[in-house]
Amino acid sequence: MSETKNKTEVQQGTLALMVLKTLDVLGPLHGYGIARRIEQISGDLLAVNQGTLYPVLLKLEQEGSIASEWGASENHRKARFYRLTRDGRRQLRAETRDWEQTAAIIERFFAVKAEDLE
Amino acid sequence: MRTLKRFVNRLGAWATRGQDEERLSAEIEEHLAQETARNLGAGLSPDEARRQALLSFGPVEAIKDDYRAQRGLPFIEALFQDTRYALRRLRNAPAFTLAVVLTLALGIGATTAIFSLVHAVLFKSLAVENPAELYRVGKVARCCYWGGYSQDEEFSIFSYDLYKHFRDNTRGFAALAAFQAGGALFGVRRAGVAEAAQGYPGEFVSGNYFAMFGVRGYAGRLLAPADDQPGAPPVAVMSHRLWQQRYGSDPSVVGALFSLDNKPFTVVGITPPGFFGDKLRSIPPDFFLPLNTEPYVEADADLNNVDTYWLDLIGRIRPGLASASVEADMRVELKQWLRSHWADMSANDRVKFPEQTLFLRPGGAGITAMRDEYEHWLQILMMVSAFVLLIVCANVANLMLVRGMERRQQTSLSMALGAQAWRLVRQALTESLLLSLAGGAAGLAVAYACTRLILRFAFPHIAGMGSVPISASPSMPVLLFAFGVSTIAGITFGIAPAWTATRVDPIEALRGAGRSTARTGSLPRKSLVVLQAALALVLLAASGLLTAALRNLENQDFGFSQDRRTIARIDPSLTGYQSDQLTTLYGRIHDSLASLPGVSDVAVAQYSPLSGNNWGAGVWIDGKPLPGPHDDNLASWDRVTAGYFNAIGTRIIEGRGITDRDRADSQLVAVINQAFARKYFQQEDPVGKYFGRTEMQSSRVYVVVGVAEDARYVHSAFDKPPGPFFFLAEPQHEVFPNSGKDVDPGSHFLHDIVIVTRPGVRLTSARVRQAVASVDPNLPIISIQTLAEQVDGQFRQQRLIARLTSFFGILSLVLASIGLYGVTAYNAGRRTGEIGVRMALGASRTQVAALVLRGAFALVAAGLMVGLPLALVAGRFLGSQLYGFNPYDPAVIVAAVLTLGFSALVASLIPAIRASLISPSEALRAE
Repeated sequence: MSETKNKTEVQQGTLALMVLKTLDVLGPLHGYGIARRIEQISGDLLAVNQGTLYPVLLKLEQEGSIASEWGASENHRKARFYRLTRDGRRQLRAETRDWEQTAAIIERFFAVKAEDLE
Repeated sequence: MRTLKRFVNRLGAWATRGQDEERLSAEIEEHLAQETARNLGAGLSPDEARRQALLSFGPVEAIKDDYRAQRGLPFIEALFQDTRYALRRLRNAPAFTLAVVLTLALGIGATTAIFSLVHAVLFKSLAVENPAELYRVGKVARCCYWGGYSQDEEFSIFSYDLYKHFRDNTRGFAALAAFQAGGALFGVRRAGVAEAAQGYPGEFVSGNYFAMFGVRGYAGRLLAPADDQPGAPPVAVMSHRLWQQRYGSDPSVVGALFSLDNKPFTVVGITPPGFFGDKLRSIPPDFFLPLNTEPYVEADADLNNVDTYWLDLIGRIRPGLASASVEADMRVELKQWLRSHWADMSANDRVKFPEQTLFLRPGGAGITAMRDEYEHWLQILMMVSAFVLLIVCANVANLMLVRGMERRQQTSLSMALGAQAWRLVRQALTESLLLSLAGGAAGLAVAYACTRLILRFAFPHIAGMGSVPISASPSMPVLLFAFGVSTIAGITFGIAPAWTATRVDPIEALRGAGRSTARTGSLPRKSLVVLQAALALVLLAASGLLTAALRNLENQDFGFSQDRRTIARIDPSLTGYQSDQLTTLYGRIHDSLASLPGVSDVAVAQYSPLSGNNWGAGVWIDGKPLPGPHDDNLASWDRVTAGYFNAIGTRIIEGRGITDRDRADSQLVAVINQAFARKYFQQEDPVGKYFGRTEMQSSRVYVVVGVAEDARYVHSAFDKPPGPFFFLAEPQHEVFPNSGKDVDPGSHFLHDIVIVTRPGVRLTSARVRQAVASVDPNLPIISIQTLAEQVDGQFRQQRLIARLTSFFGILSLVLASIGLYGVTAYNAGRRTGEIGVRMALGASRTQVAALVLRGAFALVAAGLMVGLPLALVAGRFLGSQLYGFNPYDPAVIVAAVLTLGFSALVASLIPAIRASLISPSEALRAE
């Protein structure tokens, strides 16, 4: 098995963002597919049960950021496919901006040395 | 915006939850299948692949729950779920559910009915504009006629002259109206219609009566001051009730000519519906006539007698004025008026002049004669129903506690399986609420029925006349109060066991099940049973006392015979008879009725016993000094035709009764009763002695020709012997020595025909009516009933109260017994183990039964200790105004205690027997 790394818990808000980004990059996907992709991207650093994805998908769908419909999966089974809506795209862009701003500010703080604050 | 969208979505999602559930399951299953496939591909065995898939998915049910929490409106869904669950649980325990709902319904219903009635009778305002502004003159109503120039304690009834004096001189009143204190009965016939006159109640009122009350005519117009002038065309106003019921709201009635007591009147308008006059009475007036028509209609005109007091006064005080100042002004005016009549005042009146005063009181409730009459009864009823409500709450609490205890194990188990404590408590809450709602709804129905029933029995309906203007609909505040009280009781005792169960570590509850000794019996339940027993005892004692009092009242020696006697009530004044025609009329009525087969005796009296009224007079014994103002020289009297005493079944002790010998031209005679003889003649032989009346200012008017046994005529003071009474002969007229005018012309209009039938004969009302009609078809018969019924009618309220209290007493006994049974059975059940041990160690069946019974009787004894003093206090309260009542009647108290003890025995016998039949081995085995 893989090394036992300390897996980080993830908050629901960030999970939603990951879902949106995944759909943005990869286009319409079914639930299992989204879970697998998130696992891959995070590289097993996240300790998230795959099942917790579904409530998040419901919340996003209720808010109108994603839409769903029935389709056929790879092995020709019936699966529910989710895709990003225009609202969702807008939300993604806004949240990406927020995250980048936050990250930039934090980075500045981490780069500060005692001398710079004279 | 997003949140709103989400909320709307959630609302909609609630509707599609069925298919959503399926969809979720399908999606999750699909996810798991794909992960399993991947694991299979990685080389795991099918079982291991599935297991790993499940592991990495996470807890399916928890995730589904999370999903559901997002999806619909979880709060409402949980509510529905809880409700459905609670309903199912209640359906599975029908006995419990029925018991709780019934007890709640009864408690809420009875309490609401009684409090609504009390509220209506005690607090009902007049159906007029701004009743709060009205003031009446007089604290206590005085009815219905008064004479002289002094009234003890306060002037509360007025003459027309005095009213005019107040009306014209008191600046403080914006309007002051006068109206008849008593009532009048009119023989009414529509002009141009050939029909017999019917008797309807009516009232004489001043011209500004309706204007002062702010009441407008529903049709036509109401009386105006211009109608209340001497010589004005005679007009009348009809009640809405009569217009609707008798004339079908026929618009032609307005402006039509009617004959009232054979005098033509024009009906000018109809009062609005709901207007019942100036006082709450069983039979509201159907006709309102101007005061100044009174001499026109009535034989003895009271209007123009300065010192005949027959009017009540109510007025509207000018805004901004204090009633105390108006009252002070009126007192001064009263003294002025009295002084202006100084020459006509008797010596007594002059002595009493300084004490004469009057009082103003808020008049929004009208003249409160009915209120005073019924107030005590209603208070008793209120206490009784409060007790019942308490007992019912105790019972409901008891039942809920039992249920809670039974479910203790279940609750602990649920908690052990992961249920939230709060959810469990909420389930208990839902159940309690459902029961309370059901009980409340049923209680509403019971309240309607009860109110209707009580109204019908307390204020019986006389056919053709109006009825008490109190609606039978329960008052909302009272209903809500009773409902609230029982809901709180139900909820508190429903939640308490659930709440305590969730505090306990589940393993404790599960382990300790079934094992207990006497010490661990539940204290709350025991105290509830003790409370119920105490209250039941009080109610039983009260009902016993009231029933005993009633029996004493009904079985006393009345002094007259009740069997085979019928009373037919007439009113000759309705058809315009003059007082000199009456003797002939009565003679013909006597002959007509006596000729009927089966009739053995007939007589006519002004008032038969306990018919509700009697006239009074001041007695002046010949040879004794004139009675002073503070001497008690009153006696009641009655005018009768010959042979009356035989007819009514009163024995003549000495001398003779009234006979044919007593004619208009012979010496005026009187027959006195024993009380009269004792009081006014003491040891002397009264026969042959003379007495007179103070108002005639002569002491030699009547000669006593006989002494009759004491008989009850007046409905009051049943705990004291009958007061002094004398009987006068109908054909004889007393006249004032100076003027030669008749002293009591109205007393010759006799009301009650006494008909005695032979044994075994049934006399129908039709034949009586026929016989009277053959004498005069226009003479209406107002009512026909047996003397027994008439007497019975006097005790209607007592009977009602006694019956109601008995009913509630029995009910509370049953409830208390059920409570006792429940607690005893429960405790015995919990002690099964202990009993098994005892029996194994040699205790006999009897000893085991005694053990259980002892426990039960300990509770009852405690209840008795609390209840006995309460019962005695209650008895004192009841007895303060009841007649023939002994609050410490030992027989009743002992009977109540024995009854309670007996039902306690019955209630606890079954669990005791069952406990004694336990086989030790079974008991020890069952854990």
